[in-house]
Amino acid sequence: MAVSVIAANLQAVAGLNTGILPPIESPDYAYVPVRNQFDATRIIKQLAFFRDGAPFKLGIIAHDICSPILSFVYGESQLGGKAALVSLNRLFDNNPETFYQRAAKISLHEAGHLLGLGHCWESFCIMHFSSNLEALDSLPISFCTACEYEIKRHLRTVVADEK
Amino acid sequence: MSLATQIMVVDDEETICEALEAWFIKDGYRVEKAGSGLEALERMAKKHFDVYFVDIKMPGMDGLELLGRLKEKQPDANVIMITAHGSIQSAVEAMKLGACDYLCKPFDPDQLSLLMERVMASKALRDENETLREQLMEKRETLWEGFVAQSDAMHHVFSIIEDVAPTGTPVLITGETGVGKELIAEALHMQSRQSDGPFIAINCGAMSETLLESELFGHERGAFTGAVKARRGRLEMANNGTLFLDEIGEISSKMQVSLLRVLEEKHLQRLGGNQSISTHFRLLSATHRNLSQLIRENRFREDFFYRINVITLPVPPLRERLEDVPALADHFLDLYVQETGKRLEGFTQRALGMLMAYSWPGNVRELRNVIERAVVLARGRMIGAEELTFLDTSSKDCRLGTLTLHEVEISHVRSVLDTCNWNISRAAKQLDIDRSTLNRKIKRFHLVRS
Repeated sequence: MAVSVIAANLQAVAGLNTGILPPIESPDYAYVPVRNQFDATRIIKQLAFFRDGAPFKLGIIAHDICSPILSFVYGESQLGGKAALVSLNRLFDNNPETFYQRAAKISLHEAGHLLGLGHCWESFCIMHFSSNLEALDSLPISFCTACEYEIKRHLRTVVADEK
Repeated sequence: MSLATQIMVVDDEETICEALEAWFIKDGYRVEKAGSGLEALERMAKKHFDVYFVDIKMPGMDGLELLGRLKEKQPDANVIMITAHGSIQSAVEAMKLGACDYLCKPFDPDQLSLLMERVMASKALRDENETLREQLMEKRETLWEGFVAQSDAMHHVFSIIEDVAPTGTPVLITGETGVGKELIAEALHMQSRQSDGPFIAINCGAMSETLLESELFGHERGAFTGAVKARRGRLEMANNGTLFLDEIGEISSKMQVSLLRVLEEKHLQRLGGNQSISTHFRLLSATHRNLSQLIRENRFREDFFYRINVITLPVPPLRERLEDVPALADHFLDLYVQETGKRLEGFTQRALGMLMAYSWPGNVRELRNVIERAVVLARGRMIGAEELTFLDTSSKDCRLGTLTLHEVEISHVRSVLDTCNWNISRAAKQLDIDRSTLNRKIKRFHLVRS
């Protein structure tokens, strides 16, 4: 269900033509026993090599993820790269609507990074950095005008490259 | 999230460098990585970095040694130490060596964001401080350029400023309104030992007693209706600097007593407060009034007078140093020509003559306003008599009461000569003196036809 919501939001809000691939095996190669978490950076590197024809890949994982420097991350991506990862582990809420909204927001944020966007100063933009769930919940599911313009500009380049 | 901010990450683990780089790039910073202390030093020798993230445990030169070397070469560097093996001992040592913070890997996303916000705020403050310091140095170097004077009287004032400024003694600057008493006070501050401290000026004649009391002493929250938050007073702000009380002759006896107490005890209490606050400042004051006269009339306290008047610095009025008028007029002309963008080359002889003949009751301030008005009105390349006609009218009104008999005589002789188009016979007849007497006066008063 969460995957479908994420795909729909990527399509509707970011204008990304999104397809859903079948689930893949748990990425045990990225498990960090001392932290009982999965290393997001390693998973992303693997995803980037995944050949399916799409220019961007967004992995969705139920496990808790981290980076070599951060104790946890909700999502991780390569800035202007090919792959990103979102963890649903810390996004759960008793209200399913809140949970789906959080999943969509993190996915859109990471997709924005894939399209080359950095963090945005505007507090009403999905690209604004949020370090906790309270901050994430206060963000709208939309990009500010400047970030939206950048996304469109970038997508035009991607389409031109594909042709 | 400034693009200009340069960060260097120093860690022998490539994954750590990459993770930090990825994080900071998303926030708009520019990041470079170094795999060792030596590489970091080589890079910093070629390029300026604002913030360094340094791993403590590295082979060869460790993080603490690198921190010491970095601070040696770039004392204002913001260095944040990172380690996977946190220990209080290494943290204390790092802070002693000048690190601005210490992070244990892995850190929370919140921790890193807040840390960068704090480091950038501190950097901005330091940059601003540096800019202000440079401006202050520049102001100090160009101090005397602000004074335009050729007269002996003003050069005497400058020599007193140079002698008195470094002493820290209270100085009372006297002189008519518009002679530039605040400029003199600023010069005394800039040449004093407290010149790195603040220069706090307040015009005591410009506000009511209650407002002045609140301005000088500050107040605590709720001290009176409208005091919604605590506020520092000027006496407190002037700590380690100079306090300049302009128009000190206007303050009430009650206020004089309160100020006297602060000057003697070097402590004060804010309005509505009971905490004693220490303040040390150099006091400069100024007045256009005759304070001795006010003391005789029981309107100024003698004990306060002696406290503020350790050295008196009288600034002569402009009419007593008319030789400064041409230089000052040229100075203000340049100023307003730059402001208005008009192409004006100078003054006609006749215009200069009018400026020299005027008594300037409003002193330099009045001269500045006159030149500003003349520049605005001027149509040709030179400021002529027609741009100063308003000066003639006003001068007749205000000059007689302030001129000496000798000055009145010079002015009148010049005026009659101008009226008679410098026909000596007609002018002598009008003045009811011989032609030879008039010729002697023209020679003695250095009068020339303009």
